[in-house]
Amino acid sequence: MDNFLGQFGPATVGGLAIGSIYALVALGYTMVYGVLRLINFAHSEVFTIGGFAAVGVFLMVGVSAPVGGFALIGLLLLTVLVAMAASGGTALLLEQVAYRPLRKHGSSRLAALISAIGASLFLQELIKLVIIPHVFGQSNGAIQLQNMPRVIDKTPLFSIGNAPIRLDHVIIVVAAVIMMVLLDRLVNGTRVGRGIRATAQDPEAAVLMGVNIDKVVRTTFLLGGAMAGVAGVLYLLYFENLDYRVGFVVGIKAFTAAVLGGIGNLRGALLGGFVLGLVESWSSIFLGAEWSEVTAFVVLVLVLMFRPTGILGESLQRARA
Amino acid sequence: MLLEVRDIHVHYGKIAALKGVTLEVEEGEIVTLIGANGAGKTTTLKSISGLRPLTSGRIVFDGTDISKLQGHKRVLAGIGQAPEGRGIFPGMTVQENLLMGAYARKGTFREELDEVYELFPRLSERRTQFGGTMSGGEQQMLAIGRALMTNPKVLLLDEPSMGLAPMLVAQIFEIVREINQRGTTVLLVEQNAMQALQLAHRAYVLESGRVVKAADASGLLDDPEVRAAYLGGDLGVD
Repeated sequence: MDNFLGQFGPATVGGLAIGSIYALVALGYTMVYGVLRLINFAHSEVFTIGGFAAVGVFLMVGVSAPVGGFALIGLLLLTVLVAMAASGGTALLLEQVAYRPLRKHGSSRLAALISAIGASLFLQELIKLVIIPHVFGQSNGAIQLQNMPRVIDKTPLFSIGNAPIRLDHVIIVVAAVIMMVLLDRLVNGTRVGRGIRATAQDPEAAVLMGVNIDKVVRTTFLLGGAMAGVAGVLYLLYFENLDYRVGFVVGIKAFTAAVLGGIGNLRGALLGGFVLGLVESWSSIFLGAEWSEVTAFVVLVLVLMFRPTGILGESLQRARA
Repeated sequence: MLLEVRDIHVHYGKIAALKGVTLEVEEGEIVTLIGANGAGKTTTLKSISGLRPLTSGRIVFDGTDISKLQGHKRVLAGIGQAPEGRGIFPGMTVQENLLMGAYARKGTFREELDEVYELFPRLSERRTQFGGTMSGGEQQMLAIGRALMTNPKVLLLDEPSMGLAPMLVAQIFEIVREINQRGTTVLLVEQNAMQALQLAHRAYVLESGRVVKAADASGLLDDPEVRAAYLGGDLGVD
């Protein structure tokens, strides 16, 4: 028990950081599901692309030691913008190539799902066989940023109780919260958002109101992709390594978070992300980090047994998105 | 001629839903489309609104061929629809639902909103209530009000009486008459043939994807075949 109390604080901080990343990625799954009733399995690679875009920026800028102050803010802003563009662009392309043609032919949802899995594998291999060796000049299937100088200082800034807080913790949670607030504003407070909500709640009625569904779908992929891009940057800052498969595990967890919170529900995705991050982190105190994934999925199964629609229990059709 | 539907065929997969429907709606009219379940009434309205692609035939609206025009663009052209099942956005309030009707247009919509609230005082009392929590009659009013917010030249109504108590049906039909008198053309799809024929100027009878009769509404009320098939005939029902 002493062990637990001693580690509870640090585990909570870690859980919130990783939970922020899950939540950002989960938003993309839940938005696309809300609008198209499609699980975009390739969303995990959209996230990975964001991480690689960040590595690219760090290499181009030539960061050689941890930076601080305004230089760090500037670097992070640049990195986030590039990653959002790269991931958002990938998501748009994905929609155009892998989903739109199927939609126009009125194919079944199962066909779209298979297409999603195919696109996911394709992107993984593309990263492994083309991007890593040719863009980054490495061939071991992994980019280990440990070999590179750190971008941000990882010594504790201050402590809350016995939990040391580092700059990367602060950046991750703050950045994630800012992105979530922006997205919430956009979906609930703008004309674009009204179009998205209307399409999620009743696509045919939305057309009758003059909503261009194709545009809504593109916007949804772009927004979800951009969120995943930010998550990719944050992941890189936190773990300082990246390989072509990182998206797979993070993607599955984020998808779990989306289902846990209630798929199709934006606030559910956030809640699910944080719950999952915290549960994983706390459970690893008792069972060791290698069991964290087991507990995460046990929680999912338990929640779904008692609340099949997820914690918030409403889908985007009913929710205010 | 405001709306002309010329020999349209529509398929769901390999099944033909419409096998050559032709109809016309003159400006200022109320035209009704009656027929049994599955006759193709809803499909006809959906095709006019661009929700279903035509296999062949064409639709001319206000002098322009709109057969290939995307659905969301037909709203701005002046085709508004209150769809079958009402299509209310359940997670939006009454006022948000109404404003969705004005989605395609720019500007503020105070006057139009006031006009809808004046037609449907019930909606005015419930502006902040979520669409999904309202009764069937209120949802129908909301669907019609929302379609009016698109500022339509022709208002397509798909079974506004469905699932409503007789008193409410009478009330809704009265409001449709009022809307028409204010200058909006109406194309009304109904199973409730008696009341629809009493309200409309002209009528078309649809049977398995084809128009089998076209006449003045009052004429159809006296037509023995129509009486037998759609008005309850000698059974003495409604």
